[in-house]
Amino acid sequence: MLHPQRLLALLPLSLSLVAISAPSERMRSRLPKGDADPPALINISRKPKTVEVNITAGVTTLSLMPGVKSEVFAYNGHVPGPTLDVREGDHVIVHFHNNLPEPTTVHWHGIHLPFESDGSPFHPIKPGESHDYEFTVRPGTAGTYWYHPHPDRRTGFAIGKGLFGAIIVRAADDPLAATIPERLLVLSDNRFLQDGSIDFPDAASAHGGIDEENGREGPVLFVNGHVSPTLSIRSGEVQRWRIINASAGRIYRIALSGHTMLHIGSDGGLFETPREVKELLLTTGERVEILVRGSDAPGAKAVLQDLPYDRYAPQTRPKDWKTTLDLLTLQTTGESPVEPIAIPTHLRAVPPLDTTKVSAVRTVVFGQGMINGKTMDMARVDVSAKVGATEIWEIENVVGMDHPFHLHGFQFQVLDRDGVAEPYRSWKDMLNIPKHSTARIIVRYDDYPGKWMFHCHILDHEDHGMMGVLEVRQ
Amino acid sequence: MTRRSMRFPQHALSFLAVCVIASGCSPAGSSMSFASGGTAARNGVAQQDQIARGRFLVISHDCGGCHGGGSDPASNRWLTGVKDSTDEFHIGPFITRPKNLTPDNATGMGRFSERQIFNSLRYGLRPEETPDVEITSTTPGQGNFPAHPHYLAPPMPWMAWRHMPDQDLWAIAAYLKKAVKPVRNRVEDSEGPPDFWASEMTPAKIGSYPAAAFPTANEH
Repeated sequence: MLHPQRLLALLPLSLSLVAISAPSERMRSRLPKGDADPPALINISRKPKTVEVNITAGVTTLSLMPGVKSEVFAYNGHVPGPTLDVREGDHVIVHFHNNLPEPTTVHWHGIHLPFESDGSPFHPIKPGESHDYEFTVRPGTAGTYWYHPHPDRRTGFAIGKGLFGAIIVRAADDPLAATIPERLLVLSDNRFLQDGSIDFPDAASAHGGIDEENGREGPVLFVNGHVSPTLSIRSGEVQRWRIINASAGRIYRIALSGHTMLHIGSDGGLFETPREVKELLLTTGERVEILVRGSDAPGAKAVLQDLPYDRYAPQTRPKDWKTTLDLLTLQTTGESPVEPIAIPTHLRAVPPLDTTKVSAVRTVVFGQGMINGKTMDMARVDVSAKVGATEIWEIENVVGMDHPFHLHGFQFQVLDRDGVAEPYRSWKDMLNIPKHSTARIIVRYDDYPGKWMFHCHILDHEDHGMMGVLEVRQ
Repeated sequence: MTRRSMRFPQHALSFLAVCVIASGCSPAGSSMSFASGGTAARNGVAQQDQIARGRFLVISHDCGGCHGGGSDPASNRWLTGVKDSTDEFHIGPFITRPKNLTPDNATGMGRFSERQIFNSLRYGLRPEETPDVEITSTTPGQGNFPAHPHYLAPPMPWMAWRHMPDQDLWAIAAYLKKAVKPVRNRVEDSEGPPDFWASEMTPAKIGSYPAAAFPTANEH
C-alpha cells in the first residue's frame, strides 16, 4: 500500500484523498492533438451507446523512418492504425475490409467478447473480403487495449509490416479523467534494409533463425510511429500516459530520467491504488497507465528511455543488448508552474477472484517454441473448461529466455510469481514469464463459450507454434 | 575438480572419443530402428528391470562424471548438475554447464517426457526446446526433426551414445524420470553459438546414424 505521503513526494497533493464526481463529456480532459498522436476512428453511428467504425487493412507506402519510404501494411492508411475510443457499455460494430494480399484477422487484444469476434486464427478473412466485428464493451473493463492481426503463422509479419492500433475503453466514473490530461503512446520497433523496405530475412538464413529464436527486434524505436518525438508538459503538470507495447519481440524496461512515475494501471485498467516506481517492465502486448509530472524547473528536459533488459538466451543474446535507447523527450515548457492537483489514493475496486471456487489447476509449461511439449494444432483442444469455471494456471518457463503469456477472451489476476505473492491486484491479459520462473494466475471464464488461444506473445514464437487452445463450453 | 578447458571443436570431439572409450561404451548395437515411442511395456521388459538397466547404463557411461556424483549413486550430488564454476567446461569462447538430470520440475528434468529424454540421447536435441514427438528422420524439417535443431552443447557425447539400442535409451530415460529423487539445483544456462551447434553436428563431422553396416573396410 502506498502511503499518501509517498505520493506527496511525486505529486504535491492538496488533500490526501479527494472525491471526484463523474466527469461529463465536456469535462473530459484531453491534450490537444499533436503530431505525435495517432488519429481516431470516426464513429458513423447516430445511435446512443453505439460506436460504428470502418477499418480497412491495405498496402501503402509511408515514411516510417524520416526521409525514407517503406512499403507497409496499414489500417486506414496509418501506422499505428487509428484509435478506437469507446466507453464501457458501448456496442461496437467494426466494418472491416481486407485489402491485403494475404488472409488476415483483427484481434481485439484483451477485450472480453464473443468468440466469433475475437479475430483469432479460427476466423480468417480472405483478401478482398469484408467482415463485421461486433461486441459490447463490458462495464468494469475501462482500460487500454489494442487491435492487431492474428492470422495463422503470419502475425509477426503482419504486425511488423505496420498493422496495430490502440483501443481506449473509458469509464463513466473514471477517478482521474476530470482533472488530468492524457496521452497515448504506442511503442513499436522495426528494422529496415538500405532501400527502406522493412527487413524480414529468409527464415532459413542465419539472421532469420535468430529472429525466430529471439523474436524479431529492430534498432529503430517508434512512439506512435515517430522516431524520438518531443512531448511537452508544463512545470508541475500531471499527465496520464497510456502506453502500449506493440513490438513483436522487444520487452521495454522504461524509465523517465530524473523522475519517478505513478503506476496506476495495467492491461485491464486501473489498480486500486497508485504505486510509485522508478522503472517499469512492459512486456510484448502489455499496457501500462502511468502518471508523470512536469519538472519543477521550467524548460527542463527528461527522456523516456528503454533500459537494458536481458530477456535473451545466451546463444542468441544480441551483442548490443546493454544499450539504453531513447523513446521520447519530455520538454517542460517555459510557462509558469501549474497549481498542484490532488491524486486520489483510491482509484477503483479490483475485486479478487475467489480462490475457494477454483475447480481446476492447470500446468502450462513453456519450452522454447512449444507449450507442454507440443506445438500448435488448430484441430486439438489443449484445455477444456466450462463457462463460469474459475481455474488456476501455473505457468512454468523451463527455458533460458523470457516468454510473455497471453490469454484471449478473459482477463486474469496474478496470484504469485515464483511463490512470492503478487503485492497488488490488477486485471491482466499479458504476463511476462521470465526465464526459469513460474507464475500462478487465476481466471474465471465468464460467459462466451468458444475456442480461445493462449500463447507466447513473442510473435515469432507464436507463429512457430508456441500456442494452445482453451475450449470453454456451455 | 579442476576447471576443464578445451578448445573447440577438434579438441572437444577428441575429448568425446576418450570419454566414450574410457567409459566402456559399446559400439552400435543391433537395433538400428528409429524411435518407435516404445515403452517398457511395449518392449516386454518389466519396469524394475528397465530401471535397473537404466541405472547400470547411467553409472557405466559416467553420466555422473559431468552431471554430478561420479559413479556413486549414493553421492549427495548424484546427477544434480553443476555445483560451481569448477564443474564447467570451456568450449572455445563458450561455457557449458552440465544440467541437473534429476526429475525436479523447476530445475531438472521433471517437465520433460521420457520421449524428450530419448530424443535428446538419440538425436542430441535439447529436451526443453524440442517437442515431445516421435522423430523419424535426421534431416532437419523432416519426420518431426526440427527445422532449426537445438543441440546439446559439447562435450555431451550423445553422438556416440545414440548408437545404443532403443531399449537402452528408453531405460536411461525411465531411470532418470522414475527412479532418481528430484533435487532442486538451478544450473545456469550453457552458452553456445547462435545456431545451437548445428554447424558442428553435421554427418560429416559426427558421423551418421545408424552407423555404417558391418563390416566396413576396417573390420572383418
